Amino acid sequence: MTALIIDDEVQIRRLLRMALESKGYTVREAENGTLGLQGAVFHKPDVILLDLGLPDMDGVEVLKRLREWSQVPVLILSVRDQEAVKLAAFDAGADDYVTKPFSTAELLARLTAIQRRHGADESANLTLGGLILDPAHHEAALNGHPLKLTPTEYALLAQLVRHAGKVVTLKHLLRAVWGPQAEEQTHYLRVYANHLRKKLEGSSLEIKNEPSIGYRLVEK
Amino acid sequence: MSTEDTFKPNPPREPVPVHVVGQFSWGLTILFVLASACWVLLPYTGYLFSALVFLMAIVLAGTRWNRGPVLAMAVVSALVWNFIFIPPQFTLHIEKPQDIIMFAMFFVVALSMGHLITRLREREAALEQHHAEREQLMEAKHSAELLAESERLHRTLLDSVSHELKTPIAIIRTALDGLGQGNPYAAEIETANRRLQRIVENFLEMTRVESEALKPRPDWCEVIDVLEQARKPLERELAAHPLNVRGIADMPLVMLDSRLLAQALGNVLHNATLHAPANTPIEITVTLADGVLELRVRDHGPGFPLGSEDHLFDKFYRAPDSPAGGTGLGLAISRGLMRAMKGDIEARNHPEGGAEFTLRLPVKTRTA
Repeated sequence: MTALIIDDEVQIRRLLRMALESKGYTVREAENGTLGLQGAVFHKPDVILLDLGLPDMDGVEVLKRLREWSQVPVLILSVRDQEAVKLAAFDAGADDYVTKPFSTAELLARLTAIQRRHGADESANLTLGGLILDPAHHEAALNGHPLKLTPTEYALLAQLVRHAGKVVTLKHLLRAVWGPQAEEQTHYLRVYANHLRKKLEGSSLEIKNEPSIGYRLVEK
Repeated sequence: MSTEDTFKPNPPREPVPVHVVGQFSWGLTILFVLASACWVLLPYTGYLFSALVFLMAIVLAGTRWNRGPVLAMAVVSALVWNFIFIPPQFTLHIEKPQDIIMFAMFFVVALSMGHLITRLREREAALEQHHAEREQLMEAKHSAELLAESERLHRTLLDSVSHELKTPIAIIRTALDGLGQGNPYAAEIETANRRLQRIVENFLEMTRVESEALKPRPDWCEVIDVLEQARKPLERELAAHPLNVRGIADMPLVMLDSRLLAQALGNVLHNATLHAPANTPIEITVTLADGVLELRVRDHGPGFPLGSEDHLFDKFYRAPDSPAGGTGLGLAISRGLMRAMKGDIEARNHPEGGAEFTLRLPVKTRTA
């Protein structure tokens, strides 16, 4: 497994390299956006850790150019913690966003999560922590018992399971479940996320709210 | 059709302004004075001279006065000239045909001069006003541009300062994670690093609050999510203080900026953990009435020293006997955030002991 770190801080790069190598990653480094994009072509990494404040161009710009030809999972690692910045990154195709200072354990867990779900087969059954979704019949089971869901609840849960561990933006969920005209109707989502939380109570799954950004389904 | 329906009164006319009345009387006075002077000079100058004097007076009046008085002057001077100066004197009757033509010409010239000059002046005034309005507009545009520019500069500066301060903290944090648990020295560094991080974040947030770069972005959310968001960064501090939340069940969706409210609440909670003895609970009571969301946070600490209530929310204020550490910014930020959202925060000593903070926020609600 190859990870590419695009960050201008040499100490951050060194520390991340040590943490990632201890988990079995082969690590490549780039100190600016141009070298980062070249590295992405040359090394074909399995995951990219991208800083936003790069000396030659903004990280979001790097991400946009990368997304023109590659769907490699990208985790943003930045000191910027404003929602607007996070949303712009997710809209440009980021898979997750971790703010500095960060906990190494959490960073590694999120890196694993965004790679696990990458390229998952859409027609096969979706399973996660005792939950099984059958897309062919729109049925769900939790810990061996059938889980009663309305069609909307099913659609929402399927989206979350498909991207398990990753943040799914409000806009994405609204568009996928309710259609493009519902992009602003965040209250739908709040209500149905609440229903799902109640139905998942007692299981190992948790729907986490990422304030102003979206939701993330995690295994406890 | 009744007569009342067909009867339409004349549109109300604007009353003649006082300065115009003044111009009428001044006009008549001037004509009287000039006519007297010309009367005295008549034997030396002839009656044509007085016509020119009157015309001059009308032109001069036209450069300063309104149209009405100037035209009146033209008419009156024509009549006066005819009556007093054109022979036979003291009759409106004119004998010689060339005098009749001259009188008619005088009449036309006086009226058109008065009319043209006043119109010229009106146009000039309109142009000037237009110009002034344009200038005002340009000025407003310019200052808006300046403001945007200074905001942009401010944000860039804030971004780079924030980057420079947070990066070393992040490096220390990651390096400590690498060292692993169990080393007591590392644990001390970690505690200090967390404190440093908190201070840096407080300073940056205070700057944001004060620069008014802070724009609330309200969205539908659940109060429980806000509480969770406030509690999460304080897990360590709250380990010694069980959190009892009341009134959260069956809350409708509320429209607010959850990040800002969570931060305001978080600072209040952090303050409580600093002052209340370990293992005392902190109670949060949530109520919603008349479109106002109220969060009451009560601790079981000593409460505030007498007379400090007024200063609690001041920047850098630290109550006497405060424990070491802390910048005196947390509550000031809370107040700044609440006010940015059109809400407010208050503090009092609970009658049964302990401090009680009340965060109030007007919200739109939607039943889930």
